[in-house]
Amino acid sequence: MIELKNITKEYVPNQKALDNVSLQIKEGELVVLKGASGSGKSTMLSLIAALGKPTTGEVVVDNKVISKLPDNFAALYRRENIGFIFQKFHLIENLSVYENIATPLIPSNLPPKEFSFLVQNAMDRFEIAHKKNVIVKQLSGGEQQRVAIARANVNNPKIILADEPTANLDAKLSANFIEILRELKKEKKTIVIATHDPLFFGLDFVDREVEVKNGVIV
Amino acid sequence: MSGILNPEIIALLLLDVVFLFFGFIAFILSLKIALFWDSNATTKRQYTLVKQSYLGAVIIKYILALKIPLILFFVFILDELSTILNGAMCAAGVINATPYGTYLLVLKIFNIYLFLYWLYLHKVDEANELQPYTRIKFALFSVLFFPFLAEIVLEFALFSSLDVNTLVDCCGTIYSFASQSYLSVVMRSFGSSYLVGLFYFLFLAIIMSYVLKKENLFALLNLVFIVVSLATLIMFFGTYIYEMPTHHCPFCFLQKDYNYVGYFLYTFLFLGTFHGLAVAFVPATKKMQQSYYKTSLLFLSLYVLSVTFYVVRYVLVNGVWL
Repeated sequence: MIELKNITKEYVPNQKALDNVSLQIKEGELVVLKGASGSGKSTMLSLIAALGKPTTGEVVVDNKVISKLPDNFAALYRRENIGFIFQKFHLIENLSVYENIATPLIPSNLPPKEFSFLVQNAMDRFEIAHKKNVIVKQLSGGEQQRVAIARANVNNPKIILADEPTANLDAKLSANFIEILRELKKEKKTIVIATHDPLFFGLDFVDREVEVKNGVIV
Repeated sequence: MSGILNPEIIALLLLDVVFLFFGFIAFILSLKIALFWDSNATTKRQYTLVKQSYLGAVIIKYILALKIPLILFFVFILDELSTILNGAMCAAGVINATPYGTYLLVLKIFNIYLFLYWLYLHKVDEANELQPYTRIKFALFSVLFFPFLAEIVLEFALFSSLDVNTLVDCCGTIYSFASQSYLSVVMRSFGSSYLVGLFYFLFLAIIMSYVLKKENLFALLNLVFIVVSLATLIMFFGTYIYEMPTHHCPFCFLQKDYNYVGYFLYTFLFLGTFHGLAVAFVPATKKMQQSYYKTSLLFLSLYVLSVTFYVVRYVLVNGVWL
């Protein structure tokens, strides 16, 4: 269960990116946060991922107040619970597909066999194994998206956060991404998507659409 | 004209200025955190304090972690200065050359323990996601800032009041049994054989209290061990390091002639006794406490073995006691 309790976020004093926002997301729920650019959707995702702290209020995930976690524990929380898919993928462009997908596992100090198994598994699952040793900057946009999704899932997180995941994809690749989401939803993962792409609106497997406007939920 | 500046002193004083600048920032942050920290609050002020606590903790950590080993550099500087002060043979003469030296040295030794305590408390706090000691550690630094400041002021006072034209006492006079100094009176009041017996008894008692896991006793014995160790080092063990029955200086063995052994002895003693005190005074998990016990025993054993080595070597080589 994810709970945002009376969250206000100011990046600049007295300019509220979020204004007293409260939201509950149940385990296994798929929620689409929709709204125009600058409405506060990405801020909500970054707070759920403990990438930043609110100005007031608190973020609670599975009864743990993650907005108060010290940075080292916030990193641990992210590593164990969060898979994040970014609009611009944020892949390390000079590393191979395998190496990019492996990065979230590096701090875990897993035995080499288990490490390789998990990366291979993620590559197979998201159909990118055939490009295992290719440097990611040589991949197409769709392939890079698959690498990003595989990386977000390699440590089997409970929560998947996606920030404008189809903004850099054409219609066909966006449709592929929707299918991947459908599969992840079947696995009972909690999924929160911030988007203004109408493709996500009215989908049968989306549990809830939440509209965000000028930092408040409408 | 009084006051001495050489590259080492300039480096030390420049570091002091840097420490003072950042220390003052940390002091202001510490006061705010100590006064307003509320771990249950979800207010703007609390989140701001959380961010400031990271900054404050980093500043304090680096200042204290650098200040502690710098005591060795400070003693090294005093030793260097002894070559240009008339009458001084080692750091002892430099310390006694001004009214500030003794206070500064004693304060520095106290500060080692206090600074180490803060660092260990911070380590425990950082290891817990609820950070239960944040308010305490910043309140502690708000207090610690004053001895920290006093140390810097005294350092400036010491180096600015040294006068190369003044004749100072050498360690042979200061630590002589025959002199009228306070230290000499104290030394005359105790027989060295009683003190040496007490020294070894204390060491065995510390080991026993570890076996029995009596943490308060362990810490108390360590506290007494600091005093007894320093006294026996001056009165008894030092004479075997110098191989001279009348030489009781606690500084000369910091010099090259004695292979700088003093630096090792004092490091062993301070680290050993600090960890001994930490067993009772630093809030820690069982695992951490166990590591404090072991670290304390390791360094104390190294200290006891080192000082004993000089005695045994002398007796074996010469066949007599001093």
